Amino acid sequence: MSFFQLILKNLFRRRSRSLLTLGGISIGIAAVVSLSGIASGFERSWANVYKARGTDLVVTKSVTRSTMPGPFPFALKAELQRMPHVREVGALLSDVFSVEDSPTILVIGWETKTSLWNHVKLVSGKWPDDSSKNTVALGTLNAEMLGKTLGDKVQIESGEYTVCGIFSSPALAESGAIVMPLPAMQSLTNKEGMVNFFDIWLEPNTSVGDTEKLRVSIKAKFEGLTAFNPGSVAENNIAMQIAKAMTWAVSSIALVVGAIGVMNTILMSVFERLHEIGILLAIGWRRGRIMQMILAESLLLSLVGGFAGCGLGAVAARLLQMSPWVHGKLEADVGLPLLGIALLIAIALGALGGLYPAWIGSRMSPATALRQ
Amino acid sequence: MSSKNALIEVRNLRRSFDYGAVQALRGISFTVEQGEFVSIMGPSGSGKTTLLNILGALDSEFEGAVTIDSVEMRHLAEPERFRSRTIGFVFQSFHLLPALTALENVQMPMFERKWRASERRTRAAALLGSVGLEHRMDHRPSKLSGGERQRVAIARSLANEPKLLLADEPTGNLDSSDALKILEVLGAIHQQRNMTMIVVTHDCDVAAATNRTLRVRDGQLVEKQISNGA
Ligand SMILES: Nc1ncnc2c1ncn2[C@@H]1O[C@H](COP(=O)(O)OP(=O)(O)OP(=O)(O)O)[C@@H](O)[C@H]1O
Ligand SMILES: [Mg+2]
Repeated sequence: MSFFQLILKNLFRRRSRSLLTLGGISIGIAAVVSLSGIASGFERSWANVYKARGTDLVVTKSVTRSTMPGPFPFALKAELQRMPHVREVGALLSDVFSVEDSPTILVIGWETKTSLWNHVKLVSGKWPDDSSKNTVALGTLNAEMLGKTLGDKVQIESGEYTVCGIFSSPALAESGAIVMPLPAMQSLTNKEGMVNFFDIWLEPNTSVGDTEKLRVSIKAKFEGLTAFNPGSVAENNIAMQIAKAMTWAVSSIALVVGAIGVMNTILMSVFERLHEIGILLAIGWRRGRIMQMILAESLLLSLVGGFAGCGLGAVAARLLQMSPWVHGKLEADVGLPLLGIALLIAIALGALGGLYPAWIGSRMSPATALRQ
Repeated sequence: MSSKNALIEVRNLRRSFDYGAVQALRGISFTVEQGEFVSIMGPSGSGKTTLLNILGALDSEFEGAVTIDSVEMRHLAEPERFRSRTIGFVFQSFHLLPALTALENVQMPMFERKWRASERRTRAAALLGSVGLEHRMDHRPSKLSGGERQRVAIARSLANEPKLLLADEPTGNLDSSDALKILEVLGAIHQQRNMTMIVVTHDCDVAAATNRTLRVRDGQLVEKQISNGA
């Protein structure tokens, strides 16, 4: 019999309790994996939007109270356009609405005749233009979610719109969105003359240093506005900050509960085995080996729970991604690095949960244990 | 009184419990030669188990001097290591691990040796064979008779080839035929391995089979007696 077989045997002896603990750990790890996967998928899907558009800098309000940045005047565009290296500025106004049965649909007003429209492709119909106020284009995924085709009516807040086009976008978040011309969006939201993003394209071959200089000078010039590189979108988006904080909070709770579960199980098994531990000490087992045995039981339990939790978490992330709140906005990002971290966390749980019981077990006095 | 071949030397050994309220051993002195088979007899509560625990390095809180295999037992740094290399224990109530088979039980002490799993297995099987349990190797203790359990425990006590075998009433929980078989097994081990053995017993037949009997009463040796058995 190998030491490992002995550990397995010890865990199998208390099969139902080991299984329950395993379940607890795997749920904790699954929470970490699925929530982190969703949060980082959220982040990546926005980064993809800017990548698809080829945006070099994004200008938005520096302080935001809601998940969507607040509005500022479209008129600032002229000044931005005059700054060095700026090739083009495109204005956007976006917000999230509940549309028919879908609770959170992104609706974007794009300034017409800008590069904002370049990266998307019409699949059918035509683009809405400034003259026709009540027409919209739906992303392919959005059309599928709402069950709409060309000519159908869509109710957004108080306004009724006709679907005049369906488009595809390389970015999932846009594919799940509704697009209309900027003026139509301004009247839908009662924000005439306002926008909440400028996407800036720079002249080709603008150096990283010049980009950074421009970014800093935009911040300095326009009070209350900030400019950021699309790559750092997460730091500038309050929704993502919230998503990360929630992930962190829920994961820590799940992990603390998991660690207490492991400790409870292993501690109970040590207390039940004090007599046996006394026998092992009497027949010459070193105290270190008693510790090894108990720690190994706890580590094995949490490692298996960790693997199960990774699988469960990947499935849960898929399911979350299909939920009406999230569907069409992101693709969960459950990659090897995340799974690796989750396994490390599981190992840490096992070590934390096993250390105290192992210490208790190794302190047994064999003579006392054998008298009982 | 010390001799060249003494494996165990005990001088003026005292042990009290509960801050002196219970005086379990009150000044015991004796020596045991390498290869001797010694029995200890005495009424219940006379201090036999207390003495055996001290000899087995399970208890170091005594007064006096105890030397085993030239090692002073009072300030033993690693008693587990000493037990693992030098001592084999057999208990009245067997103390086998209930979840493990006979073969696995015998392997347990061997984890302290750098033996491969296959070597542990082979050695354990040979030991079980030597106590006549080759057909019971994969049975758990609950499926074995008392006599068989004690033979598994004896095989386990020999797992790491100890110098000294300590048995505390090994036949105390057995009927007379099982006890006889255990006595035969112990006698065979003593003869074949020339091992030093100390057996605590209430059974005169067991005592008669040993080279010498130490009689204990109220924590003191009453007399020394050489028995003619075996
Ligand atoms: N850990 C302890 N704490 C307190 N008292 C103890 C302890 N161990 C032994 N004693 C006491 O020391 C005395 C000797 O006990 P011991 O177990 O050595 O007797 P024994 O000769 O083995 O008896 P038995 O034949 O019943 O096994 C008894 O009075 C016992 O109650
Ligand atoms: Mg006793």
